[in-house]
Amino acid sequence: MNPETRHQLRSLDRALLALLDERARLLASLAAEDPGRAAAVDDMLRRHEGPFPAEGIAEVFGAIDRHSAEFSSERRDRG
Amino acid sequence: MILRFVPGTAEDAVQALRERLEGAGLRVLRSPEEARPILAVAGKVPKELAAELRAQSEVAEMVQPTGELLLVARAMRELPSVVDVGGVRIGGGEVVVIAGPCSVEGRELVLEVARKVKDCGAHILRGGAFKPRTSPYAFQGFGVEGLRQLKDAGEAVGLPVVSEIMDASDVPAFLEHGIDCLQIGARNMQNFTLLKAVARANRPVLLKRGLAATAEEWLYAAEYLFEGGCEQVILCERGIRTFEKATRNTLDLTVLPLLREWSHVPVIVDPAHAAGIARIIPPLARASIAAGADGVAVEVHLNPAEARSDAAQALLPQELLGIVSDARILAAVTGRRLHPPRADQDARSR
Repeated sequence: MNPETRHQLRSLDRALLALLDERARLLASLAAEDPGRAAAVDDMLRRHEGPFPAEGIAEVFGAIDRHSAEFSSERRDRG
Repeated sequence: MILRFVPGTAEDAVQALRERLEGAGLRVLRSPEEARPILAVAGKVPKELAAELRAQSEVAEMVQPTGELLLVARAMRELPSVVDVGGVRIGGGEVVVIAGPCSVEGRELVLEVARKVKDCGAHILRGGAFKPRTSPYAFQGFGVEGLRQLKDAGEAVGLPVVSEIMDASDVPAFLEHGIDCLQIGARNMQNFTLLKAVARANRPVLLKRGLAATAEEWLYAAEYLFEGGCEQVILCERGIRTFEKATRNTLDLTVLPLLREWSHVPVIVDPAHAAGIARIIPPLARASIAAGADGVAVEVHLNPAEARSDAAQALLPQELLGIVSDARILAAVTGRRLHPPRADQDARSR
């Protein structure tokens, strides 16, 4: 892999991380859960046409949901 | 000339140098910077004195800014400055969204818009009470009553408010009604009497770029505010007049990275007045944040067709929601973040 491609991949990784953090911040600022979340993810998967495998996407979003729930409950516990 | 001292320089050494400069008939201004002492010297420093200053071990750096731009110059601060508008910080790595009606059109209407813009995630409510209109027959705003209605709406939903001031004699009314940020409009950017009066008001100022002003002239207008005692200034790019007729003005995003180099003052963008066409505002808002703007200001109306001013550039609340969502994404991927909503205020808005 050439350095330029590696640089682009690192930039995308940083952007993904920044977006995950921003999502966590937004979620943390809300008092309630997102009730339509599962349906919204299903809808995204149905419409998805990109090269990333659908089962992989489902896993990624599942992991985001799990960790977000843990993060939110920790915040609630901390009061 | 700007003198940046070595961090930790003793105050009496700074004072001694200041007295030396003032003794030479020069005006010396001090930066509020705490990380290190920084002095700005107005006027031409004679060669011999400049050499003397250069030889001082306490002077880390001597910076010659553009023209006589001193207090706004980047070298006057260690970090870009942050302006606090009623608890909302503008600059310093957070992106804000300012939204509201072009004109305050009545108590119920402005309150309804305030609720919507708050729900969409905007941070500051805007609304014109004194309207500078091209035609004397166009709606001129409700004046002081408009300020009252705007502030009441802002308080009801928990948003600070910004409104345009057109006349120095109105400063007391703006203060009395608790307007959190005074806007100097594009047409008044070089109204120096107004700039001086507003500078004394001890409130944050949103300084729009004049429609035919260069970036340097715009910064000189900001320098007037700083020189007059106002350290809380936000610049607002709103498009400049060019040969292009397809849009109301031409949005000049080229100034954003330049202003970052030249000045520590935060900069936001008003894509609505630049475009004058509602449907092209969202991409311009995205471009503004991607280019480094500290925020965007847009106009929102529940029924744009019935807006009493600037109807063609008013957005619907759902369009504002799209702008806030995009701002969140672009702020994150450019290493910043959207200013967080305040939980206590969420509760009050329901």
